[in-house]
Amino acid sequence: MNPLLTFLVVLIGLYGLSTSKNIIKSVFCVTITEAGVILLFLNLGNLEGGSIPIFAEGLVNIVDPLPQALMITTIVIGSTVTALALMLCIKIFHHYGSVEWDVVLRDGGEE
Amino acid sequence: MVSSVIKHGFLILLLLFLFGVFYFTMEELDIMYDTFAKRYYLLNGLEDTASMNLVTGIYLDYRLFDSIFEAGILLIAVSGIIWISKHDIEEHNVHFMLDKFKTPDLFVMFARVVYPLMLVFGFYIIVNGHLSPGGGFQGGAIVATAILILYYIDPNKDTSTSFILSIEKIVFIIIVVFAMLSIFTKGTMFTNPFTSSDAGVQTIYLVLMNVLIGVKVALGLWAIFTAFLREGR
Repeated sequence: MNPLLTFLVVLIGLYGLSTSKNIIKSVFCVTITEAGVILLFLNLGNLEGGSIPIFAEGLVNIVDPLPQALMITTIVIGSTVTALALMLCIKIFHHYGSVEWDVVLRDGGEE
Repeated sequence: MVSSVIKHGFLILLLLFLFGVFYFTMEELDIMYDTFAKRYYLLNGLEDTASMNLVTGIYLDYRLFDSIFEAGILLIAVSGIIWISKHDIEEHNVHFMLDKFKTPDLFVMFARVVYPLMLVFGFYIIVNGHLSPGGGFQGGAIVATAILILYYIDPNKDTSTSFILSIEKIVFIIIVVFAMLSIFTKGTMFTNPFTSSDAGVQTIYLVLMNVLIGVKVALGLWAIFTAFLREGR
């Protein structure tokens, strides 16, 4: 996959992050951005026709295992951070009665 | 209306600028990225870590320090979720969001069939992490998903999130202590503590560490599920 396409995914996430009116949609856009970064890192060590980084007989060309090992941890962290953000969304809904940015910012400003 | 169009225009210009910056620095990526580390792992990985799977070898041996802090971030996030989801009201008679009458019977029946298979598959992924694709993080996620299915089978099942969190903290301390053991045998921290060159002996460390990380990830995700299910009363 072309690195430009992966960066396009990041840009789509950033665009959604700055235009979405719903807090939950913003959380989704953070996840999309993260997916783009993960794709970019995996793309960095990728090799056309390379084999998986597991030892076998006659192994010459392998895909770089380092970005893969880093991205495993990123995926796990990303899922938990998304869960934390969604839990905050639930609390915001209980407090303000809405998850729209406009309503939350207006009511939050009055207090 | 007009102002929103102008705002969108500026935003798209900014994103195009970012795209251009990335486009012109993309050539540098090939210069910055060299394959020296890859060749090193390919030549010495099996002797250094005794792990057939190089990815497992990296996150359990070469970069164990990073993995420990990753597990720490997971623990902190789970603690934060549970702390945020605490209620002031007394939590007696808490019913879960999953309604037994709304769940299709077919789904429940197949969940009963699939649940043990998923558990066994998750344990296989964890224990076999040094030989085949897999490891503690992925296997832990599979085991946690299997436990999530358990809530569909028995919606009235009650679990204490604070108890799960306590076990997770203990497991995290065990991981840190186990990773530091190598200072007594090798003089450096965060690597394989077994000095024997026999691959079979060194594999014990990999399997144990994978199991510990798998248990930790599974408990963390289980606590997250339970906290979310509690919210939907």
